Amino acid sequence: MKKKTLPKSSSQEPNLKGTIISVSIIGLIIVASWFGVFGLFLSR
Amino acid sequence: MHLHKYEKWWLIFGVGTLIAFLLILAYGAFYLGTHPQSHGVTIDPENIGAEETFKPENLGLTKLDEGKYVLNVVASAFNYDLGTDEEGKPVKHIQIPKGSTVLIQAVTPDVIHGFNIAGTNANMMVEPGFISSMEVTLNKPGEYTLLCNEYCGSGHHMMFATVEVTE
Ligand SMILES: [Cu+2]
Repeated sequence: MKKKTLPKSSSQEPNLKGTIISVSIIGLIIVASWFGVFGLFLSR
Repeated sequence: MHLHKYEKWWLIFGVGTLIAFLLILAYGAFYLGTHPQSHGVTIDPENIGAEETFKPENLGLTKLDEGKYVLNVVASAFNYDLGTDEEGKPVKHIQIPKGSTVLIQAVTPDVIHGFNIAGTNANMMVEPGFISSMEVTLNKPGEYTLLCNEYCGSGHHMMFATVEVTE
């Protein structure tokens, strides 16, 4: 079977908690600024 | 291919926003009819005066009806031609009562210019060969600066006028 030949390290899940938190913060800032600009457009 | 759970979440979010923005774009373009301000309407940039709208006497602000105005502008390096006043001086300040709708029509004989009444949604490119137009409603009284926001040459910063929205 092919699976058994894979190196051990690849079967281990890396810890990506910090990654998902930091990219989510950036994502939320982008989404919030989009709605901010859209609100500005509607109010003018 | 193995993907981490968080990577899947992030990919779903990324592709989801892409789809959301494409839908918003399609809604604006096909349902609301939003498109670039040139609207594909062309004019000979060498002979702008041949068009009735942009004859010197038709430039500037014209009142059509109560609360309805037309603003015809020729933008050139480095000036906004808004017509002349009774004394024959070039108009650099226009007054519009608040709540009026203004149809702005702008052309240029030379290079690309901008037309932006800062602080309002009146913002468009003016390209040689096209008539740029848009309708805006000015609700907030105050003095606004009409300025060129497309760099057009050494006198770019001198291209401005003022628009006053009166009570
Ligand atoms: Cu300019």
